[in-house]
Amino acid sequence: MVKFAHVSKSFGEIKALVDVSFEVKKGEFVFITGPSGAGKTTILKLILREILPDTGRVVFDGEDIVGLSQEKVPYLRQKIGVVFQDYKVLPERTVRENVEVPLAVTGVSPDEWEARVNQVLKLVGLDERSELFPAQLSGGELQRVSLARALVINPKLIMADEPTGNLDWETGDAIMELFEKINKEGKTVIMATHNKHVVERLKKRVIELKDGKLVGQTRVKSEEKPKIKVKVEEV
Amino acid sequence: MNIHVKTALDYIKRSPFQALAALFVLTLTFFVGTMLAVLVYSSANLLKYFETRPQIIAFLKDEITPEQVSALQNRLTGDVRVKDVRYVSKEEALEIYKQATSDNPLLSELVSPTIFPASLEFSVADLSFAQEVINEVKKEGIVDSVGFTASLGGEKTLEDVVGRLRTLTLYLRIGGGVFVGVLAGTSLLVILVITGMRITTRRGEIEILDLIGATPAFIRSPIILEALIYSAVGAFVGWLLAFLIWLYATPSLISYFGDIPILPKEALNLFGLFAIILVGELLLGVGLALSGSYLAVSRARRSR
Repeated sequence: MVKFAHVSKSFGEIKALVDVSFEVKKGEFVFITGPSGAGKTTILKLILREILPDTGRVVFDGEDIVGLSQEKVPYLRQKIGVVFQDYKVLPERTVRENVEVPLAVTGVSPDEWEARVNQVLKLVGLDERSELFPAQLSGGELQRVSLARALVINPKLIMADEPTGNLDWETGDAIMELFEKINKEGKTVIMATHNKHVVERLKKRVIELKDGKLVGQTRVKSEEKPKIKVKVEEV
Repeated sequence: MNIHVKTALDYIKRSPFQALAALFVLTLTFFVGTMLAVLVYSSANLLKYFETRPQIIAFLKDEITPEQVSALQNRLTGDVRVKDVRYVSKEEALEIYKQATSDNPLLSELVSPTIFPASLEFSVADLSFAQEVINEVKKEGIVDSVGFTASLGGEKTLEDVVGRLRTLTLYLRIGGGVFVGVLAGTSLLVILVITGMRITTRRGEIEILDLIGATPAFIRSPIILEALIYSAVGAFVGWLLAFLIWLYATPSLISYFGDIPILPKEALNLFGLFAIILVGELLLGVGLALSGSYLAVSRARRSR
Protein backbone atom coordinates (compact mmCIF):
# COMPACT_ATOMS: atom_id res chain seq x y z
CA MET A 1 0.00 0.00 0.00
CA VAL A 2 2.76 2.46 1.02
CA LYS A 3 6.46 2.09 0.32
CA PHE A 4 9.33 4.41 1.22
CA ALA A 5 12.60 3.66 -0.57
CA HIS A 6 15.71 5.50 0.65
CA VAL A 7 13.79 8.69 1.31
CA SER A 8 15.62 11.73 2.62
CA LYS A 9 14.22 15.17 3.31
CA SER A 10 15.86 18.28 4.71
CA PHE A 11 14.44 21.63 5.69
CA GLY A 12 17.46 23.89 5.30
CA GLU A 13 20.09 22.59 7.71
CA ILE A 14 17.63 20.35 9.51
CA LYS A 15 17.57 16.75 8.33
CA ALA A 16 13.98 15.64 8.81
CA LEU A 17 14.45 12.19 7.23
CA VAL A 18 17.64 10.35 6.37
CA ASP A 19 17.55 7.39 3.99
CA VAL A 20 14.29 5.99 5.34
CA SER A 21 12.89 2.79 3.83
CA PHE A 22 9.86 0.82 4.95
CA GLU A 23 6.71 -0.72 3.58
CA VAL A 24 3.14 -0.84 4.84
CA LYS A 25 0.97 -3.60 3.46
CA LYS A 26 -2.74 -3.43 2.72
CA GLY A 27 -4.83 -3.93 5.86
CA GLU A 28 -1.95 -3.26 8.24
CA PHE A 29 -2.04 -1.00 11.29
CA VAL A 30 1.31 0.69 11.70
CA PHE A 31 2.48 3.15 14.33
CA ILE A 32 5.21 5.65 13.50
CA THR A 33 6.78 6.62 16.76
CA GLY A 34 9.64 8.71 17.99
CA PRO A 35 10.30 11.86 19.93
CA SER A 36 9.28 15.30 18.68
CA GLY A 37 11.25 16.26 15.59
CA ALA A 38 12.00 12.62 14.74
CA GLY A 39 10.30 12.94 11.33
CA LYS A 40 6.89 11.33 11.99
CA THR A 41 4.84 14.17 10.55
CA THR A 42 7.26 14.51 7.61
CA ILE A 43 6.44 10.92 6.62
CA LEU A 44 2.71 11.67 6.68
CA LYS A 45 3.24 14.88 4.70
CA LEU A 46 5.24 12.97 2.10
CA ILE A 47 2.48 10.39 1.69
CA LEU A 48 -0.04 13.21 1.33
CA ARG A 49 2.27 14.95 -1.20
CA GLU A 50 2.29 18.11 0.89
CA ILE A 51 6.06 18.06 0.46
CA LEU A 52 8.48 16.31 -1.87
CA PRO A 53 11.51 14.26 -0.79
CA ASP A 54 15.02 15.40 -1.66
CA THR A 55 15.91 11.85 -2.67
CA GLY A 56 14.19 8.47 -2.76
CA ARG A 57 10.83 7.13 -3.83
CA VAL A 58 7.44 7.23 -2.15
CA VAL A 59 5.00 4.73 -3.56
CA PHE A 60 1.28 4.75 -2.74
CA ASP A 61 -1.11 2.17 -4.11
CA GLY A 62 1.48 1.07 -6.68
CA GLU A 63 2.20 4.58 -7.97
CA ASP A 64 5.32 6.65 -7.39
CA ILE A 65 3.79 9.82 -6.04
CA VAL A 66 7.00 11.86 -6.15
CA GLY A 67 6.63 12.31 -9.88
CA LEU A 68 2.90 12.95 -9.68
CA SER A 69 1.82 16.16 -11.42
CA GLN A 70 0.32 18.91 -9.23
CA GLU A 71 -3.04 18.49 -10.98
CA LYS A 72 -3.23 14.86 -9.84
CA VAL A 73 -2.39 15.56 -6.19
CA PRO A 74 -6.03 16.22 -5.15
CA TYR A 75 -7.04 12.82 -6.56
CA LEU A 76 -4.24 11.15 -4.56
CA ARG A 77 -5.50 12.86 -1.40
CA GLN A 78 -9.05 11.74 -2.13
CA LYS A 79 -7.86 8.16 -1.60
CA ILE A 80 -6.48 8.95 1.83
CA GLY A 81 -8.45 9.81 4.96
CA VAL A 82 -6.49 12.00 7.33
CA VAL A 83 -7.10 12.62 11.03
CA PHE A 84 -5.20 15.59 12.39
CA GLN A 85 -4.02 16.32 15.91
CA ASP A 86 -5.71 19.74 15.77
CA TYR A 87 -8.82 18.15 14.16
CA LYS A 88 -8.94 20.65 11.27
CA VAL A 89 -12.71 20.73 11.17
CA LEU A 90 -14.50 23.55 9.38
CA PRO A 91 -15.68 25.81 12.22
CA GLU A 92 -18.64 27.35 10.42
CA ARG A 93 -20.17 24.08 9.34
CA THR A 94 -22.17 21.62 11.40
CA VAL A 95 -20.88 18.12 12.16
CA ARG A 96 -22.98 16.75 9.31
CA GLU A 97 -21.76 19.38 6.87
CA ASN A 98 -18.14 18.73 7.87
CA VAL A 99 -18.58 15.06 7.05
CA GLU A 100 -20.42 15.87 3.82
CA VAL A 101 -17.57 18.01 2.46
CA PRO A 102 -15.31 15.09 1.41
CA LEU A 103 -18.29 13.52 -0.35
CA ALA A 104 -18.75 16.72 -2.34
CA VAL A 105 -15.01 16.89 -2.99
CA THR A 106 -14.91 13.34 -4.36
CA GLY A 107 -18.04 13.89 -6.43
CA VAL A 108 -20.32 11.42 -4.65
CA SER A 109 -23.95 11.94 -5.66
CA PRO A 110 -25.83 14.03 -3.03
CA ASP A 111 -28.50 11.30 -2.95
CA GLU A 112 -26.01 9.04 -1.19
CA TRP A 113 -24.78 11.59 1.32
CA GLU A 114 -27.37 11.15 4.04
CA ALA A 115 -27.01 7.38 4.31
CA ARG A 116 -23.21 7.47 4.24
CA VAL A 117 -22.93 10.33 6.72
CA ASN A 118 -25.41 8.66 9.08
CA GLN A 119 -23.42 5.44 8.89
CA VAL A 120 -20.07 7.01 9.85
CA LEU A 121 -21.57 9.30 12.45
CA LYS A 122 -23.12 6.25 14.08
CA LEU A 123 -19.77 4.46 13.91
CA VAL A 124 -17.97 7.28 15.71
CA GLY A 125 -20.89 7.87 18.08
CA LEU A 126 -21.89 11.32 16.89
CA ASP A 127 -25.25 10.50 15.35
CA GLU A 128 -27.01 12.47 18.07
CA ARG A 129 -24.84 15.55 17.54
CA SER A 130 -24.89 15.88 13.81
CA GLU A 131 -26.50 19.35 13.76
CA LEU A 132 -24.11 20.90 16.28
CA PHE A 133 -21.29 23.24 15.33
CA PRO A 134 -17.64 22.46 16.24
CA ALA A 135 -17.68 25.18 18.91
CA GLN A 136 -20.34 23.17 20.74
CA LEU A 137 -18.25 19.97 20.84
CA SER A 138 -15.55 18.64 23.17
CA GLY A 139 -12.01 17.75 22.01
CA GLY A 140 -12.84 14.06 21.81
CA GLU A 141 -15.97 14.77 19.80
CA LEU A 142 -14.04 17.01 17.43
CA GLN A 143 -11.54 14.22 16.88
CA ARG A 144 -14.46 11.90 16.10
CA VAL A 145 -15.71 14.41 13.53
CA SER A 146 -12.24 14.41 12.00
CA LEU A 147 -12.29 10.60 11.94
CA ALA A 148 -15.80 10.47 10.48
CA ARG A 149 -14.72 12.90 7.77
CA ALA A 150 -11.73 10.68 6.98
CA LEU A 151 -13.87 7.54 6.85
CA VAL A 152 -16.87 8.75 4.90
CA ILE A 153 -15.13 8.55 1.52
CA ASN A 154 -14.15 4.94 2.21
CA PRO A 155 -10.44 5.67 1.69
CA LYS A 156 -7.76 3.12 0.89
CA LEU A 157 -5.61 4.44 3.71
CA ILE A 158 -6.32 6.21 6.99
CA MET A 159 -3.51 8.38 8.33
CA ALA A 160 -3.59 9.95 11.75
CA ASP A 161 -1.15 12.48 13.12
CA GLU A 162 -1.11 12.37 16.93
CA PRO A 163 -4.88 11.79 17.07
CA THR A 164 -4.86 11.53 20.85
CA GLY A 165 -2.37 14.36 21.39
CA ASN A 166 -4.99 16.83 22.62
CA LEU A 167 -7.21 14.36 24.43
CA ASP A 168 -7.36 12.97 27.95
CA TRP A 169 -6.39 9.30 28.21
CA GLU A 170 -9.93 8.03 28.52
CA THR A 171 -11.12 9.85 25.40
CA GLY A 172 -7.88 8.91 23.67
CA ASP A 173 -8.56 5.24 24.40
CA ALA A 174 -12.05 5.52 22.97
CA ILE A 175 -10.64 7.05 19.78
CA MET A 176 -8.00 4.32 19.55
CA GLU A 177 -10.69 1.68 19.89
CA LEU A 178 -12.38 3.25 16.89
CA PHE A 179 -9.17 3.07 14.87
CA GLU A 180 -8.75 -0.57 15.84
CA LYS A 181 -12.30 -1.31 14.81
CA ILE A 182 -11.76 0.39 11.46
CA ASN A 183 -8.54 -1.58 10.91
CA LYS A 184 -10.33 -4.84 11.69
CA GLU A 185 -12.79 -3.98 8.94
CA GLY A 186 -9.87 -4.06 6.52
CA LYS A 187 -8.65 -0.47 6.35
CA THR A 188 -4.92 0.27 6.31
CA VAL A 189 -3.99 2.63 9.15
CA ILE A 190 -0.78 4.61 9.62
CA MET A 191 -0.63 6.54 12.85
CA ALA A 192 2.08 8.93 13.98
CA THR A 193 2.27 9.15 17.76
CA HIS A 194 4.66 9.47 20.63
CA ASN A 195 2.10 8.14 23.08
CA LYS A 196 3.68 4.92 24.37
CA HIS A 197 0.53 3.98 26.25
CA VAL A 198 -1.41 3.90 22.99
CA VAL A 199 1.28 1.93 21.17
CA GLU A 200 1.61 -0.66 23.89
CA ARG A 201 -2.11 -1.07 24.33
CA LEU A 202 -2.87 -1.80 20.68
CA LYS A 203 0.15 -4.01 20.05
CA LYS A 204 0.62 -3.26 16.38
CA ARG A 205 3.67 -2.93 14.18
CA VAL A 206 5.83 0.07 15.12
CA ILE A 207 8.20 2.06 12.92
CA GLU A 208 10.55 3.93 15.21
CA LEU A 209 12.30 7.11 14.18
CA LYS A 210 14.99 9.18 15.83
CA ASP A 211 16.56 12.34 14.39
CA GLY A 212 15.07 11.50 11.02
CA LYS A 213 16.55 8.02 10.93
CA LEU A 214 14.66 4.77 11.07
CA VAL A 215 16.10 3.15 14.13
CA GLY A 216 14.00 0.02 14.15
CA GLN A 217 10.76 -1.70 13.35
CA THR A 218 9.08 -3.52 16.19
CA ARG A 219 6.53 -6.22 15.63
CA VAL A 220 4.27 -6.65 18.63
CA LYS A 221 2.47 -9.92 19.00
CA SER A 222 -1.01 -9.91 20.38
CA GLU A 223 -1.28 -9.54 24.18
CA GLU A 224 2.49 -9.02 24.51
CA LYS A 225 4.65 -6.02 25.13
CA PRO A 226 7.05 -5.02 22.33
CA LYS A 227 9.80 -7.57 22.17
CA ILE A 228 11.04 -8.29 18.68
CA LYS A 229 13.25 -5.56 17.37
CA VAL A 230 14.36 -5.72 13.74
CA LYS A 231 17.40 -3.74 12.74
CA VAL A 232 17.08 -1.24 9.93
CA GLU A 233 19.54 -3.14 7.75
CA GLU A 234 17.27 -6.18 7.76
CA VAL A 235 14.26 -4.36 6.30
CA MET B 1 -29.01 23.14 -2.56
CA ASN B 2 -25.64 22.79 -4.27
CA ILE B 3 -22.81 22.90 -1.73
CA HIS B 4 -20.99 25.71 -3.58
CA VAL B 5 -24.11 27.89 -3.78
CA LYS B 6 -24.80 27.25 -0.10
CA THR B 7 -21.21 28.13 0.81
CA ALA B 8 -21.33 31.31 -1.30
CA LEU B 9 -24.61 32.37 0.34
CA ASP B 10 -23.12 31.61 3.77
CA TYR B 11 -20.14 33.85 2.94
CA ILE B 12 -22.53 36.65 1.98
CA LYS B 13 -24.67 36.22 5.13
CA ARG B 14 -21.62 36.23 7.38
CA SER B 15 -20.23 39.47 5.91
CA PRO B 16 -23.33 41.58 5.24
CA PHE B 17 -21.51 44.92 5.04
CA GLN B 18 -19.01 43.68 2.48
CA ALA B 19 -21.90 42.27 0.49
CA LEU B 20 -23.81 45.57 0.68
CA ALA B 21 -20.76 47.58 -0.40
CA ALA B 22 -20.27 45.32 -3.41
CA LEU B 23 -23.96 45.42 -4.31
CA PHE B 24 -24.17 49.23 -4.05
CA VAL B 25 -21.17 49.79 -6.29
CA LEU B 26 -22.33 47.25 -8.86
CA THR B 27 -25.91 48.54 -8.78
CA LEU B 28 -24.65 52.10 -9.37
CA THR B 29 -22.46 50.93 -12.26
CA PHE B 30 -25.27 49.12 -14.00
CA PHE B 31 -27.82 51.86 -13.24
CA VAL B 32 -25.60 54.46 -14.90
CA GLY B 33 -24.80 51.94 -17.64
CA THR B 34 -28.50 51.42 -18.41
CA MET B 35 -29.27 55.15 -18.37
CA LEU B 36 -26.38 55.87 -20.73
CA ALA B 37 -27.21 52.94 -23.01
CA VAL B 38 -30.73 54.33 -23.50
CA LEU B 39 -29.39 57.87 -23.98
CA VAL B 40 -26.96 56.64 -26.63
CA TYR B 41 -29.80 54.73 -28.32
CA SER B 42 -32.06 57.81 -28.27
CA SER B 43 -29.37 60.18 -29.53
CA ALA B 44 -28.52 57.76 -32.33
CA ASN B 45 -32.19 57.65 -33.30
CA LEU B 46 -32.43 61.42 -33.14
CA LEU B 47 -29.40 61.73 -35.40
CA LYS B 48 -30.77 59.15 -37.80
CA TYR B 49 -34.11 60.97 -37.90
CA PHE B 50 -32.53 64.23 -38.93
CA GLU B 51 -30.14 62.56 -41.32
CA THR B 52 -32.98 60.84 -43.15
CA ARG B 53 -35.40 63.74 -43.40
CA PRO B 54 -36.25 64.79 -47.01
CA GLN B 55 -33.47 67.25 -47.34
CA ILE B 56 -33.38 68.16 -51.00
CA ILE B 57 -36.23 69.47 -53.17
CA ALA B 58 -35.74 69.64 -56.92
CA PHE B 59 -38.34 72.14 -58.25
CA LEU B 60 -39.39 71.13 -61.74
CA LYS B 61 -40.10 73.37 -64.73
CA ASP B 62 -43.75 73.87 -65.70
CA GLU B 63 -43.56 72.52 -69.26
CA ILE B 64 -42.23 69.04 -68.45
CA THR B 65 -43.99 65.78 -69.34
CA PRO B 66 -44.82 62.97 -66.87
CA GLU B 67 -42.37 60.69 -68.75
CA GLN B 68 -39.53 63.12 -68.08
CA VAL B 69 -40.45 63.29 -64.39
CA SER B 70 -40.67 59.53 -64.21
CA ALA B 71 -37.28 59.11 -65.89
CA LEU B 72 -35.57 61.47 -63.41
CA GLN B 73 -37.39 59.85 -60.47
CA ASN B 74 -36.21 56.40 -61.61
CA ARG B 75 -32.67 57.62 -62.03
CA LEU B 76 -32.64 59.09 -58.55
CA THR B 77 -34.23 55.98 -57.04
CA GLY B 78 -31.50 53.87 -58.61
CA ASP B 79 -28.77 56.10 -57.13
CA VAL B 80 -27.31 54.52 -53.97
CA ARG B 81 -26.54 57.95 -52.51
CA VAL B 82 -30.20 58.93 -52.68
CA LYS B 83 -33.10 57.72 -50.50
CA ASP B 84 -36.86 58.13 -50.24
CA VAL B 85 -37.56 59.83 -53.56
CA ARG B 86 -41.08 61.29 -53.71
CA TYR B 87 -42.90 63.24 -56.41
CA VAL B 88 -44.95 66.20 -55.16
CA SER B 89 -47.45 67.51 -57.70
CA LYS B 90 -48.61 71.14 -57.95
CA GLU B 91 -51.84 70.20 -56.13
CA GLU B 92 -49.96 68.50 -53.32
CA ALA B 93 -47.68 71.50 -53.06
CA LEU B 94 -50.73 73.70 -52.62
CA GLU B 95 -52.04 71.40 -49.88
CA ILE B 96 -48.71 71.61 -48.08
CA TYR B 97 -48.85 75.39 -48.38
CA LYS B 98 -52.41 75.47 -47.06
CA GLN B 99 -51.46 73.36 -44.07
CA ALA B 100 -48.48 75.55 -43.39
CA THR B 101 -50.65 78.68 -43.50
CA SER B 102 -53.73 77.21 -41.84
CA ASP B 103 -53.62 79.89 -39.15
CA ASN B 104 -54.14 82.52 -41.86
CA PRO B 105 -56.76 81.22 -44.40
CA LEU B 106 -56.56 84.46 -46.39
CA LEU B 107 -53.09 83.58 -47.61
CA SER B 108 -54.25 80.25 -49.06
CA GLU B 109 -57.31 81.77 -50.70
CA LEU B 110 -55.11 84.03 -52.79
CA VAL B 111 -53.15 81.23 -54.43
CA SER B 112 -53.89 78.52 -57.02
CA PRO B 113 -52.01 75.32 -57.78
CA THR B 114 -50.55 76.80 -60.91
CA ILE B 115 -48.20 79.06 -59.01
CA PHE B 116 -46.58 76.16 -57.16
CA PRO B 117 -44.02 74.10 -59.03
CA ALA B 118 -44.14 70.29 -58.95
CA SER B 119 -41.08 68.85 -57.28
CA LEU B 120 -39.07 65.75 -56.47
CA GLU B 121 -38.21 65.47 -52.77
CA PHE B 122 -35.51 63.16 -51.58
CA SER B 123 -32.87 62.70 -48.92
CA VAL B 124 -29.29 61.51 -49.13
CA ALA B 125 -27.90 58.42 -47.44
CA ASP B 126 -25.14 60.53 -45.94
CA LEU B 127 -25.01 64.29 -45.76
CA SER B 128 -21.54 64.30 -47.27
CA PHE B 129 -23.16 63.36 -50.61
CA ALA B 130 -25.55 66.30 -50.50
CA GLN B 131 -23.49 68.88 -52.39
CA GLU B 132 -22.51 66.62 -55.28
CA VAL B 133 -26.07 65.27 -55.68
CA ILE B 134 -27.45 68.82 -55.68
CA ASN B 135 -24.93 69.85 -58.34
CA GLU B 136 -25.84 66.86 -60.51
CA VAL B 137 -29.60 67.42 -60.17
CA LYS B 138 -29.21 71.12 -61.01
CA LYS B 139 -27.78 70.11 -64.40
CA GLU B 140 -30.94 68.19 -65.28
CA GLY B 141 -32.88 69.97 -68.03
CA ILE B 142 -36.27 69.59 -66.35
CA VAL B 143 -35.07 71.01 -63.03
CA ASP B 144 -35.65 74.67 -62.45
CA SER B 145 -33.93 75.02 -59.11
CA VAL B 146 -32.85 72.95 -56.11
CA GLY B 147 -33.67 73.76 -52.49
CA PHE B 148 -32.23 72.53 -49.24
CA THR B 149 -35.00 72.19 -46.63
CA ALA B 150 -32.77 72.87 -43.65
CA SER B 151 -32.92 76.56 -44.32
CA LEU B 152 -36.52 76.43 -43.09
CA GLY B 153 -35.33 75.79 -39.49
CA GLY B 154 -33.56 78.10 -37.13
CA GLU B 155 -30.20 76.63 -38.13
CA LYS B 156 -28.34 77.84 -41.17
CA THR B 157 -28.37 74.44 -42.83
CA LEU B 158 -29.44 70.96 -41.96
CA GLU B 159 -25.80 70.00 -42.03
CA ASP B 160 -25.28 72.29 -39.04
CA VAL B 161 -28.09 70.59 -37.11
CA VAL B 162 -26.80 67.14 -37.93
CA GLY B 163 -23.24 68.24 -37.22
CA ARG B 164 -24.24 69.44 -33.76
CA LEU B 165 -26.18 66.27 -33.11
CA ARG B 166 -23.23 64.20 -34.23
CA THR B 167 -20.92 66.07 -31.87
CA LEU B 168 -23.43 65.67 -29.04
CA THR B 169 -23.79 61.94 -29.73
CA LEU B 170 -20.02 61.54 -29.91
CA TYR B 171 -19.53 63.36 -26.60
CA LEU B 172 -22.28 61.28 -25.04
CA ARG B 173 -20.69 58.07 -26.27
CA ILE B 174 -17.14 59.01 -25.27
CA GLY B 175 -18.08 60.70 -21.97
CA GLY B 176 -20.60 58.01 -21.07
CA GLY B 177 -18.18 55.26 -22.07
CA VAL B 178 -15.42 56.74 -19.93
CA PHE B 179 -17.78 57.20 -16.97
CA VAL B 180 -19.13 53.66 -17.25
CA GLY B 181 -15.55 52.44 -17.74
CA VAL B 182 -14.45 54.13 -14.50
CA LEU B 183 -17.43 52.67 -12.65
CA ALA B 184 -16.79 49.22 -14.11
CA GLY B 185 -13.13 49.53 -13.07
CA THR B 186 -14.23 50.46 -9.54
CA SER B 187 -16.59 47.48 -9.49
CA LEU B 188 -13.79 45.21 -10.64
CA LEU B 189 -11.55 46.52 -7.85
CA VAL B 190 -14.32 46.05 -5.27
CA ILE B 191 -14.85 42.44 -6.39
CA LEU B 192 -11.09 41.90 -6.35
CA VAL B 193 -10.75 43.33 -2.81
CA ILE B 194 -13.74 41.39 -1.46
CA THR B 195 -12.58 38.14 -3.05
CA GLY B 196 -9.06 38.75 -1.72
CA MET B 197 -10.44 39.38 1.77
CA ARG B 198 -12.57 36.27 1.49
CA ILE B 199 -9.52 34.19 0.58
CA THR B 200 -7.55 35.65 3.49
CA THR B 201 -10.30 35.05 6.05
CA ARG B 202 -10.94 31.55 4.68
CA ARG B 203 -7.27 30.55 4.50
CA GLY B 204 -7.75 27.89 7.17
CA GLU B 205 -10.75 26.44 5.40
CA ILE B 206 -8.91 26.47 2.06
CA GLU B 207 -5.98 24.65 3.66
CA ILE B 208 -8.29 21.95 5.07
CA LEU B 209 -10.08 21.52 1.74
CA ASP B 210 -6.72 21.26 0.03
CA LEU B 211 -5.61 18.52 2.45
CA ILE B 212 -8.74 16.45 1.99
CA GLY B 213 -8.28 16.42 -1.77
CA ALA B 214 -10.37 19.32 -3.04
CA THR B 215 -9.33 20.44 -6.51
CA PRO B 216 -8.46 24.13 -7.04
CA ALA B 217 -11.72 24.46 -9.00
CA PHE B 218 -13.70 23.09 -6.05
CA ILE B 219 -11.97 25.48 -3.64
CA ARG B 220 -12.51 28.59 -5.74
CA SER B 221 -16.06 27.76 -6.88
CA PRO B 222 -17.90 29.35 -3.92
CA ILE B 223 -15.62 32.40 -4.02
CA ILE B 224 -16.29 32.93 -7.72
CA LEU B 225 -19.98 32.18 -7.25
CA GLU B 226 -20.15 34.86 -4.57
CA ALA B 227 -18.69 37.41 -7.01
CA LEU B 228 -21.17 36.21 -9.66
CA ILE B 229 -24.07 36.69 -7.26
CA TYR B 230 -22.97 40.28 -6.50
CA SER B 231 -22.63 41.04 -10.21
CA ALA B 232 -25.90 39.42 -11.25
CA VAL B 233 -27.91 41.07 -8.45
CA GLY B 234 -26.13 44.42 -9.00
CA ALA B 235 -26.78 44.28 -12.75
CA PHE B 236 -30.43 43.37 -12.29
CA VAL B 237 -31.19 45.95 -9.58
CA GLY B 238 -29.30 48.72 -11.43
CA TRP B 239 -31.10 47.84 -14.66
CA LEU B 240 -34.49 47.62 -12.90
CA LEU B 241 -34.14 51.07 -11.32
CA ALA B 242 -33.16 52.64 -14.64
CA PHE B 243 -35.93 50.72 -16.43
CA LEU B 244 -38.57 52.01 -14.02
CA ILE B 245 -37.36 55.60 -14.46
CA TRP B 246 -37.40 55.30 -18.26
CA LEU B 247 -40.77 53.58 -18.16
CA TYR B 248 -42.15 56.46 -16.11
CA ALA B 249 -40.64 59.09 -18.41
CA THR B 250 -41.33 57.40 -21.77
CA PRO B 251 -44.92 58.68 -22.35
CA SER B 252 -43.84 62.29 -21.68
CA LEU B 253 -40.72 61.92 -23.83
CA ILE B 254 -42.63 60.38 -26.74
CA SER B 255 -45.25 63.10 -26.57
CA TYR B 256 -42.58 65.84 -26.34
CA PHE B 257 -40.52 64.60 -29.27
CA GLY B 258 -43.58 63.83 -31.43
CA ASP B 259 -42.55 62.15 -34.67
CA ILE B 260 -38.92 61.78 -33.63
CA PRO B 261 -38.57 58.16 -32.52
CA ILE B 262 -36.13 58.64 -29.64
CA LEU B 263 -37.65 55.59 -27.90
CA PRO B 264 -39.73 52.74 -29.32
CA LYS B 265 -43.41 53.64 -29.23
CA GLU B 266 -44.60 50.03 -29.13
CA ALA B 267 -44.45 48.58 -25.60
CA LEU B 268 -43.09 45.28 -26.94
CA ASN B 269 -40.23 47.04 -28.73
CA LEU B 270 -39.46 49.12 -25.64
CA PHE B 271 -39.29 45.96 -23.50
CA GLY B 272 -37.18 44.33 -26.21
CA LEU B 273 -34.70 47.23 -26.06
CA PHE B 274 -34.42 46.92 -22.27
CA ALA B 275 -34.18 43.13 -22.47
CA ILE B 276 -31.18 43.49 -24.80
CA ILE B 277 -29.58 45.95 -22.38
CA LEU B 278 -30.22 43.56 -19.46
CA VAL B 279 -28.64 40.63 -21.29
CA GLY B 280 -25.64 42.77 -22.20
CA GLU B 281 -25.24 43.98 -18.62
CA LEU B 282 -25.57 40.48 -17.19
CA LEU B 283 -22.84 39.33 -19.55
CA LEU B 284 -20.69 42.30 -18.53
CA GLY B 285 -21.42 41.46 -14.89
CA VAL B 286 -20.33 37.85 -15.41
CA GLY B 287 -17.17 39.13 -17.08
CA LEU B 288 -16.46 41.50 -14.18
CA ALA B 289 -17.09 38.80 -11.57
CA LEU B 290 -15.00 36.18 -13.32
CA SER B 291 -12.08 38.48 -14.06
CA GLY B 292 -12.12 40.05 -10.57
CA SER B 293 -12.32 36.77 -8.69
CA TYR B 294 -9.82 34.97 -10.96
CA LEU B 295 -7.35 37.82 -10.49
CA ALA B 296 -7.76 37.64 -6.70
CA VAL B 297 -7.49 33.83 -6.64
CA SER B 298 -4.36 33.86 -8.83
CA ARG B 299 -2.77 36.52 -6.61
CA ALA B 300 -3.53 34.42 -3.53
CA ARG B 301 -2.07 31.31 -5.18
CA ARG B 302 1.09 33.18 -6.16
CA SER B 303 1.55 34.44 -2.60
CA ARG B 304 1.14 30.93 -1.10
